[in-house]
Amino acid sequence: MTRSVRLAAQGLAIALVVGLLALLIWRVANDSNKGVSQALRDGQHPTAPAFDLSRLDGRGRIDLASLRGKKPIVLDFWASWCVPCIHESKRLEAARKQYGNRVAFIGVDTKDFSGDARSWQRKHGITYPSVHDGSGGVLTKWGGLPIPRIFFVARSGKVVGELIVEEDLPRYLRQIAAS
Amino acid sequence: MRKLIFLLVAALLAVPVAHASERHPTLNELEGEVMCPVCGTTLDQSSSPAAQQIKRVIASRIAAGDTKSQIENQLVAEYGDAILAAPQHKGLGLLAWWLPIAGIIAAAAIVGAGAWRWSRRREPLPAGPPLDPILEARLNDELSRLDD
Repeated sequence: MTRSVRLAAQGLAIALVVGLLALLIWRVANDSNKGVSQALRDGQHPTAPAFDLSRLDGRGRIDLASLRGKKPIVLDFWASWCVPCIHESKRLEAARKQYGNRVAFIGVDTKDFSGDARSWQRKHGITYPSVHDGSGGVLTKWGGLPIPRIFFVARSGKVVGELIVEEDLPRYLRQIAAS
Repeated sequence: MRKLIFLLVAALLAVPVAHASERHPTLNELEGEVMCPVCGTTLDQSSSPAAQQIKRVIASRIAAGDTKSQIENQLVAEYGDAILAAPQHKGLGLLAWWLPIAGIIAAAAIVGAGAWRWSRRREPLPAGPPLDPILEARLNDELSRLDD
């Protein structure tokens, strides 16, 4: 092996190691991003991360970005195995009667069996449309577990807030309905 | 040779067992191979509501006569690839299975080739300076006396 070939091989090996190290650092830096929920806690109002998922009822898909500029949104992350989700989804169902013509209510069934999710909706009388996020990829962008997580998105597409205490629901609903 | 025969027999015996496991999976077996989507452990180590739900579904699919692959495919369709503790033996999953083995073989080949080259490059040790004739005679004398 000539000296130049050996030097090239060594250079390539070093470049490979440096590349892998850079990739590791980039991944670690990206993992520290906790999503929309963390951004809200930091006082920011990020644009709602887009998703395009199949509806649980089989009636096509919902593309969140397509609603931007048209309607404010209440986004409800839930699952059929999540006991507290029953209470929150029922509250949203009741609020929908008042705000349903001005605000879009969308559920995101996450890390769940779609068959069980449909039964759960029927059992608890939840009628607003939900999409299926089986892998939880969309949930991760919004803040991850635990659920329920409920977000309020203004007509502009900016996330206004997350439901933390009971009073947040009427307050944020009024705010986004007026947006 | 006996070891080789033993390994071959063991491998032949393992084939029908794997085939039976594919056709008639058990809940216990699948609990160790399927992840709980909310706790980051396999189902057998979790009692969370999400894990309980998946266990119930697996039990119902086993009772319905589904094969292991059918159950795994259904889980992957609902939850994505990450629901399986180990990647499937198809598509990109094959890469995860065979890349480490290929890496080990390549590393062994590189180390072996390096060792072979190194051993061939070694030159024989140079012979030392010739012994002084007087010293050599004395040494022979001493050795012959030792023999006596």
